[in-house]
Amino acid sequence: MIEHLPVLLVVLPIIGASVPLVASLYTDRIGWSIAVLTMLAYAALAGLLAQQVWPDTVVSYAVGGFALPYGIELVVDGLSLAVVLLISAITLGVLAYARHAGPHENTFYSQLLLLVTGLTGMTVTGDVFNLYVFLEITGLAAYGLVASGREASAAVAALKYLIIGTVGASLYLLGVGYALAVTGTLNMADMSGKLAAVGYDSTLVLTAFGLMVGGLSVKVALFPLHTWQPDAYANSPDSVSAFISALVSTVSAYALARLLFSVFTVDFLTAVPAARWALIVVASVSIVAGSALAVSQASVQRMLAYSSVSQFGLVIAGFAVATPIAVVGATVHLVGHAVMKGGLFAATGIIERETGTTTIGGYAGMGGRTPLAAGAFTVLALGMVGVPPAIGFVGKWYILVGAVEAELWPVVAVLLASTLLTLAYFARLGERLYFAEPTIREEGAIADGGEGSDGGERAEGSRSSSEPRSEGGDGDDGENAVSTGMLAVLVVAAVLAVALTAAVPALEQLLTETLPPLIQ
Amino acid sequence: MAGPLTTVPPVVVLLAVAIAIAALPRRAGHALGIVASGAALAWAWAVPSGAFLRTTFLGFDAVLLNVDDFSRLMGVIFGIIGVAAVLYSYASEAESVQTAFAYSYVATSYGAVFAGDWLTLLFFWELMAVTSTLLVWHYRGKAVRAGYRYAIFHGIGGTLLMAAILQNYAIKGTFLFGSVPGGPETMGIAAGLPAALAAVGIGVNVGFIGLHAWLPDTYPRPHIAASVFLCVFTTKTGVYGMYRAFPDGHVAIAYMGGGMAVFGATFALFQNDMRRLLSYHIQSQVGYMIAGVGIGSALSQAGAFAHVFNHILYKGLLFMTAGVVVYRTGEENLKKLGGLARKMPITAGAFTVAALSIAGFPGFNGFVSKGIVIDGAHYTFVDGPVPVYEWTTLEWLLLLGGVGTFMSFIKFGYYAFFHGEYDGDVEDANRGQSVAMVGIAALCVFYGLFDGALFSLLPFDVTSKAAVEKVYTTYTVVHVVEGVILGLIGLVGFALAKKPLSKLGRVPDIDSLTNPAVFYGTRGLVVGLTDLYAAVDRAAVAGASTVVNSVTNPDTVYEEVVEGDHSNPLRAGIGVSILVLAVFVTVVLLLLP
Repeated sequence: MIEHLPVLLVVLPIIGASVPLVASLYTDRIGWSIAVLTMLAYAALAGLLAQQVWPDTVVSYAVGGFALPYGIELVVDGLSLAVVLLISAITLGVLAYARHAGPHENTFYSQLLLLVTGLTGMTVTGDVFNLYVFLEITGLAAYGLVASGREASAAVAALKYLIIGTVGASLYLLGVGYALAVTGTLNMADMSGKLAAVGYDSTLVLTAFGLMVGGLSVKVALFPLHTWQPDAYANSPDSVSAFISALVSTVSAYALARLLFSVFTVDFLTAVPAARWALIVVASVSIVAGSALAVSQASVQRMLAYSSVSQFGLVIAGFAVATPIAVVGATVHLVGHAVMKGGLFAATGIIERETGTTTIGGYAGMGGRTPLAAGAFTVLALGMVGVPPAIGFVGKWYILVGAVEAELWPVVAVLLASTLLTLAYFARLGERLYFAEPTIREEGAIADGGEGSDGGERAEGSRSSSEPRSEGGDGDDGENAVSTGMLAVLVVAAVLAVALTAAVPALEQLLTETLPPLIQ
Repeated sequence: MAGPLTTVPPVVVLLAVAIAIAALPRRAGHALGIVASGAALAWAWAVPSGAFLRTTFLGFDAVLLNVDDFSRLMGVIFGIIGVAAVLYSYASEAESVQTAFAYSYVATSYGAVFAGDWLTLLFFWELMAVTSTLLVWHYRGKAVRAGYRYAIFHGIGGTLLMAAILQNYAIKGTFLFGSVPGGPETMGIAAGLPAALAAVGIGVNVGFIGLHAWLPDTYPRPHIAASVFLCVFTTKTGVYGMYRAFPDGHVAIAYMGGGMAVFGATFALFQNDMRRLLSYHIQSQVGYMIAGVGIGSALSQAGAFAHVFNHILYKGLLFMTAGVVVYRTGEENLKKLGGLARKMPITAGAFTVAALSIAGFPGFNGFVSKGIVIDGAHYTFVDGPVPVYEWTTLEWLLLLGGVGTFMSFIKFGYYAFFHGEYDGDVEDANRGQSVAMVGIAALCVFYGLFDGALFSLLPFDVTSKAAVEKVYTTYTVVHVVEGVILGLIGLVGFALAKKPLSKLGRVPDIDSLTNPAVFYGTRGLVVGLTDLYAAVDRAAVAGASTVVNSVTNPDTVYEEVVEGDHSNPLRAGIGVSILVLAVFVTVVLLLLP
């Protein structure tokens, strides 16, 4: 069985996704348990896989035993392993959060597992067309999840996401078509060799590159292709926004990196400087514009969404710099950002449940009212800014050192500025949380029909929060808005944001052992 | 090599103390803070020299504890002022949380001055900016906005320094200081662009002219005890960092120091807010230190660090006395005070000692260290463009700064303590405040009279021909006469300038230019970006809707576009997004070959 691990990782969640649908005939509340069981098994499989890959093996698997390069190949190396482990951890975390936060329907969990299938497939596949298939599975599941919010705006956001995402994926498919026309193969490793043989300056190759990268940039949400993303993040239920903000763009960025290093290779970037500069420019613009847009937001969730635009700019910049240390940095930041951003969205969900506020103005003075959520939020925000020893610092630092080594000074300048820009929007929030007088005390008092002393404030806070929430869409939560599981997820995310730094040397070793074929 | 004193870097212990201060009852917490500062003082005194706790951080060599004469001096003086400032905080009714913030600021300062490599230094440098911002913010009110400006300034400065350090790394291949075993062969930051960036980045911290606006802006606003902490650590750590970056000095930095000495003293003279006046004097006094570092001779650098040591004592004391006046009268403005000498004899006495020290009157500690720097400028520095009489250019700048200092402190003392009568009852400093002030005042006098005690702390022995270019003797006829004459000129100058000064309104400083520039600059960036985006958006919507209208059944799509759009001009509709995507891919494809 052990040799079938890569394909089992993809198949298991598909099976898991179909069970709740069947079970719906009998009960509507079994989805969560099934999803948890599936993901526990998934985590075990991922662990076994890690054991196989560690420290320097690249696991390759031919689906159905068809001979390569004609069959579909699955490849797991250090980079994909890191993403698989991330998917496993984040999904378990989101499930712990959703236990209480909902949605509770079976269909939700089916979609969730389907999304995991797509993400895993994108991660382990070694075939460019197969990547497209999983990209679409991921997309469709994600559109459905965004639409599971009950407001009309969620439906609009999902529709927007669907149309833009599908166009992006189609562009990618077009690119695959061009590549196929040039090389006659879809297998990544095979295609990589043949592209080199054709010559990197061939118009077909360049067109394929442009279309594939352009298509994936939509999914990564780089500026100016990000327009679907803030709506999708801000309008979906908090479990969903935590999940997709942590994984969907992350895995797309991974796919972009896979394309760069496994298909086009660093030689291509060196041979066609315009391609590298195009990536670097888009990434840099993303960093600056994303931050500037984040600063101008009033809603915390939209601010976090624009922050993602900026942070993914950073990741892509790291991949485009393409020195070994920059790639390690970009991978670290990819993983670190997923943990931190997922945690931040979870924190906004909890703060909204406890206090009913979603805007930066409303966060004033909430540090005292929801100490745990606000504290975790602050830790995660500081990690995102890049305060050592948090993981956010390590990733940025490695990318920075890589850029310095490559002597790409404009990138260095943008990277340094990005820290300041990130600080600009998170400092504002931190100051609001801890150093400002509450602005929404009156609201709470009206809801409670009295002013209430300091001692009773917490209890009031949680009671009154059911009011704004009932119009917020999760009406069936009961009075106790925040469960231990939700808080535990948040605390774990905050701890991980710091503790993951300890895992960086291991990841670095893994990448340097398995990446040399990628980065010559 | 590693003994019990060198197993843990002091910052770790002190940060734990800071957390304990926040958690413990107020009295116990402050007592712990005093004891810990005393312990830090003793530790800095006793710890052997050398580089300890070598480790690798992210694959780069780092030295978490590097003790040499420079860092030892910083550790000793930080310990002394730490004891006094925590005691003063306790007596001035500072909240535990505020003192905890202040203490974490002290702790990170220890981390910075005992770092053995640029990376560690930068790490604590940035943390100092964070902790001091929190300390300012804690007072709320007007302090919050000033705290923002402070944070932005230091964020930019830290980023410039980081750029300098990275380029230095690219050139030398290591982050270690040159003085650390295994470090690069040349000390300091590599010449050229890295050096320029480092000078400006550190220049923010030490208050270079033009980069100093945060200083008088921030320090007058927080709690009176917070000001005592603030006036000590950031600028002096900056001087220390400047030495590490430029161990051989630089002419431009030396002249910048001279300019700061005159500029700060002049602007101080225009101020009526007590703590704002003192803040400008920080810039002026730091100017002497920067001049000493910039001259680059052993004598002048010894003088610079002697001045760091002394300055911390008397400037801490000045902020304490000003704080007591604010504490007792609730008044910040000199014009509304007066005649307090009779009501507050201890405070007035402490102020007099501190003022004579900062002005460099013979017998007080400022006289000793300022004299070394001026001697350094006289004997070990070039004449410069405009030497006057037998003074070098830098020397007369520093002397002129001394006159300005005398004048502004005569002004401060005259208006606060001696001019007119104070009506109403006012008590003198309470017991804790008095102990802190008298203790520091005693040290100011002690180091002024027994200059040998100060010399023994300095990195270069200024009394030995082997160590410095020109042996320094504090009490020579020339020095004493110079000191007294400066004082007399100051007195006469104040008498002449008193009338015009009192009619002078608020003199605009550079920040009346930079603040709007920064504000409208960043606002312009954000608004420009969003407006640009919205403009593109509107144009595209107009274009898209014509296209859509020409299609047979446009209604549903059109509705979507409009509905997605009306709540926020920033939100691009679906059609627009697709248009952007198409244009984007087209441009990329056109550009690629």
